[in-house]
Amino acid sequence: MSLACREAMDLLVEAVTGTVPPSARASLAAHLAGCAACRREAAALEETATLVRAAGRFAVPPGFWSAFADRLQARLALERLPVAARWTRWLARPRHAVAAAALIAALGLAAATAVRLGPAGGPPADPAGALDAQLRGLVTEAMSVTLPSLAETIDTWRAGLHAGTDAEGDSR
Amino acid sequence: MDAEDRQLVEAFRRGEESAFSALVIKYRDAVYRVARRMLGSHEDAADVTQEVFIRAHRALARFDGRSRLYTWLYRITVNLCLDWRTRLRRLPPADLLPDPASVPVSADPELEAAETARAVARAVSALPPRQRAMVVLRLYQDLPYQDIARIMGCSEGTVKATMFAALRRLRRVLVAEGVRAP
Repeated sequence: MSLACREAMDLLVEAVTGTVPPSARASLAAHLAGCAACRREAAALEETATLVRAAGRFAVPPGFWSAFADRLQARLALERLPVAARWTRWLARPRHAVAAAALIAALGLAAATAVRLGPAGGPPADPAGALDAQLRGLVTEAMSVTLPSLAETIDTWRAGLHAGTDAEGDSR
Repeated sequence: MDAEDRQLVEAFRRGEESAFSALVIKYRDAVYRVARRMLGSHEDAADVTQEVFIRAHRALARFDGRSRLYTWLYRITVNLCLDWRTRLRRLPPADLLPDPASVPVSADPELEAAETARAVARAVSALPPRQRAMVVLRLYQDLPYQDIARIMGCSEGTVKATMFAALRRLRRVLVAEGVRAP
């Protein structure tokens, strides 16, 4: 295909789809007048575009837009709700509530197991010391000031844990 | 962006929800038709049309107005349709046919026209998704090549080359099926 034919094909696509600028129309016509191959291509493309355009008709079902507007408004109303309200609505569905409860239970169990067993990677060298560190990590200074009896409770708890780990060590 | 669209977008930014409803009424038919021709079924097109306006509602306040509003809406529509088709993977051929209600069944010439319409619908539906999007935007929605390039995120030259390839491909399929222009 010569350069002139390539240029003509670009213009031809525009021509058969209806957008060729008037200034280019004359040069395209001049090329087509002297090029039988491009004339055949032009006729084929034009016929195809006409067929495609003619076949694209369809009807929207009666009442569709009215129902569409209702559905869209309902979705947009949901979009406008605050996040907390959207969660509440989501949880109001039994299926979602059951799934959320199961997830919370699983997370609780995993957290409890993690606290009881300590960090992964094998048992610590000093189990009692590790437990002490974990408990100290859980009690902040603000908590101790607010609840003076908390320190005493922790000490009692710690003594019990020490006794338990000592007893395990003795029994081995 | 045309003056009416600009006013509606500004009203929406001021909190007037009715401005968004006006935009929906103005563009819903165009959005639906693109989706219907790209996806082939009324149900999918209806779902995509709703999703287009939900996304537009979320993003309209940030719309910068550098492109025309309809170009922006068409871009959302085409991208959603391309994703939708990927999810569907394969469309059942029956979904791609014209509405039974719009297909006449009485006289022979009408039957023949209906059969031609079916063959064309099948051929268009078999095009690669991006070719199909460009054919829909140019031949059915009459969008200028410049706008199609913006929507598809490529150059005008690429759109024209793709259109040329799409028309030749359609031609081959239609000739193989024995379809001729009326």
